[in-house]
Amino acid sequence: MVLLTAAVVTLLASSGADALQARSEYELKAAYLYSFGRFVEWPAGDPRASGDFIICVLGSDPFGPALDATVSGVTLRGRKVVGRRLSTAAGAADCHILFISASEERQLETIVGSLAQAGVLTVSDIPRFVGRGGMIQFVVSGGRVRFEIDLRPARDANLTLSSELLRVAAAVRPDREQRQ
Amino acid sequence: MLLSTAKILHSAEPDPPSQNPARLTELSLEQLGDIEVTSVSKQPETVWQTAVAIHVITQEDIRRSGATSLPELLRLAPGVEVARIDSDHWAVGVRGFGDQFSKSLLVLIDGRSIYTPLFAGMYWPAHDTLIQDIDRIEVIRGPGGTIWGANAVNGVINIITKPTAATHGALVSVGGGSLDRGSVAVRYGGGDEGFSYRAYAKGINRGPEFHADGADFDGWWTAGAGARADWTRTGGDEVTLQGEVSRGDHGQRVSISTFSPPGLQPLDGALEAWGANLLGRWQKELPTGKGFRLQAYYDGTSWDAPHFAERRDTFDVDFLAHLTLARRHRVTWGGGARRSPSVFTPVVPTLDFSPREHTDTIAGGFLQDEIMLVRDRVWLTLGAKVEHNGDTGAEGLPSARILWTPAPSHTFWSSVTRAVRTPSRIERDLQQTTFSAFTPTAIGPVPVFIRVTGNDDFAPERLLGYEAGYRTRLAHELYLDVAAFHNQHDRLGSFDIGTITVETSPPPLHVLAGVHYVNGVDGTSDGFEVSPDWQLNPTWQVKGSYSFVKVDLATNPASVDVNAVSRYEGSSPHHQARLQVHATLPHRAELTTAYRYVSRLPALKIADYHTADARVAWRPVSDLELFVSGENLLQPYHTEFAHTPGPFVGIARSVFAGFTWTSRNAAP
Repeated sequence: MVLLTAAVVTLLASSGADALQARSEYELKAAYLYSFGRFVEWPAGDPRASGDFIICVLGSDPFGPALDATVSGVTLRGRKVVGRRLSTAAGAADCHILFISASEERQLETIVGSLAQAGVLTVSDIPRFVGRGGMIQFVVSGGRVRFEIDLRPARDANLTLSSELLRVAAAVRPDREQRQ
Repeated sequence: MLLSTAKILHSAEPDPPSQNPARLTELSLEQLGDIEVTSVSKQPETVWQTAVAIHVITQEDIRRSGATSLPELLRLAPGVEVARIDSDHWAVGVRGFGDQFSKSLLVLIDGRSIYTPLFAGMYWPAHDTLIQDIDRIEVIRGPGGTIWGANAVNGVINIITKPTAATHGALVSVGGGSLDRGSVAVRYGGGDEGFSYRAYAKGINRGPEFHADGADFDGWWTAGAGARADWTRTGGDEVTLQGEVSRGDHGQRVSISTFSPPGLQPLDGALEAWGANLLGRWQKELPTGKGFRLQAYYDGTSWDAPHFAERRDTFDVDFLAHLTLARRHRVTWGGGARRSPSVFTPVVPTLDFSPREHTDTIAGGFLQDEIMLVRDRVWLTLGAKVEHNGDTGAEGLPSARILWTPAPSHTFWSSVTRAVRTPSRIERDLQQTTFSAFTPTAIGPVPVFIRVTGNDDFAPERLLGYEAGYRTRLAHELYLDVAAFHNQHDRLGSFDIGTITVETSPPPLHVLAGVHYVNGVDGTSDGFEVSPDWQLNPTWQVKGSYSFVKVDLATNPASVDVNAVSRYEGSSPHHQARLQVHATLPHRAELTTAYRYVSRLPALKIADYHTADARVAWRPVSDLELFVSGENLLQPYHTEFAHTPGPFVGIARSVFAGFTWTSRNAAP
């Protein structure tokens, strides 16, 4: 019994103290969504500037409780962070960050097209989201969640992505001024 | 015990920081990128990071292909041989061994096995699920026995339908054409965050393929309805309940032997199929990286063919759990049991089973540990399953796999796996009498019949597989997947000649040449698959695959079957190639064209063939898609496999057109 207790304590000490222990994919992605808010500048004169900081999920929600748990009680630039779920892209322009669920893959081009000038940071894990008009795409590699960035749609939306964000990104698709 | 105690103590602590997801928001981006994602081997993993030759057919691939049946969809995966025998029968193989009875290949729909122990394969026309509900099809080439158990020898195909949260709203899809004459599918779904549901109904009427003699025996229809409900709770619990009923008449020509003259005659008729299944699943994922899944299902089938009838009830329960130990070990374990009582009813005197009633049983357990040997670089997975079946006893199914990712865009993997295929009822219990010829005797011509009998001593076929693969991203959106294999096959089935006897009952007097199943063939198979996938730009996507397989077998001295080796070696194509180009056109239109080449099947006297499919779709408004597709366009008809009895069936050029309407909010 003493040995068992000792083993339990050892186990607790090694895992409990370790903030970097394994997490579910969408807990991590929820945390990323929040963190992106710290490293992106929205355009001045943002009509949403006075209210809450809004993180939306469009389509079938893969986060479960993870998004609400992540944003509960946290703030970004003094604003309360709110998670919101959308079934259509109609209200998406009110979001600061829009996560587009894989369920929306077929309408993807339409959605990102309609938000091109809206100043919304679009994020998704749809394959090739980056390259199809999306700004940040999650990629799971080596059992880790990382992300890729496309600068062109971000620039079109007047969003400024900090160098810190670009440095950490797994890949950055450059902004070619004149694309054929 | 230790772990559960640890968990209780752990949760008793006052809100330990690591248990609070909000704590993640205080980490830097780099730190977030270092956190390991939990996942279970029997659940979808990122394909890139799997030490298995796996190809995922996505819902976009499915929609773009225009395919309207499951076996036609499987043509999209490298290493899979799909040969249409007639309108409602297919021979499907993975890495060789294509056969109408698709031996050594395991197929599951939402975790429910559709592999029948009657003939050790899939009876495809009875499994015509709603194509629009399919989320993805994971095609695993090579043995997967450690997780999936016996009969996952040459491959495992997992058909996974969408969660109900992804199918809210209404869907109506209607089409018609030259082969698929009429097809209707309706679906409705709804719900909120905690509860979601959908229900569907569909029906398809398919015409015959091309018959030179005009005998259009292979027309068929199938209809089905099903429903699914998903509950999710904030604790990480997910509960799913789903069920289906189906009914179909599948036209076919069979040959019937009779003791009285003419001895052998073809009979055209329909197999009347009924099917019903009900599945429940409870799964729970904890933020600590632990989780489990408990699943149980019932699957009932009733088949009334022109020459036999079978009724089968399958009950299956399956448990799987995973946990992470010391951050280096991802341990997955589980167990399951299946009981499948069946009754065979003879319809003609020359086809019977002995015994007619039989219950197949399987019980087993497995343990697998994925060990991170070098942080973020090298993983070693060791596992074993022990499975006991009621007919041939226990089998051990071990495997070792290693994965190396020297850089994020390069993955190397290799594996050694053992797998077995357990005998089907045919191989153990069949009593089939087939007319051969009349032999002249002093009392006049006497009919000679071949009687094939099952063999209680038929042992499981075994495979030892060695595999290696490499996946890379050559350019930003140019992906390449290469896999090669060397398989050692032992105890493959063949026929052996038994005794020759003379029977007077039933009359008239006849000669019986006994033939029975034995494990008479051994050998190897080798091959590789190369599959590039290139998104040139947002408009153009090119996917391709080339698959090579060479089967090299020999009859062992105990067997006298002179045909077995050439039958195995020559019933699958050495070379297969496929190229698909998809274009996203302006005005919400799209065009997909696919070309395929399949080399000849010498054992079946089937020539090589090239053909092509094309599909054009246009969405005038976002809710509505109009489409026209053409299949096998390069010639009026071609043959893909031998048909017994009788002449070859030509697989005809066909067109299909229709529309799919989805209400807003519904993901198609």
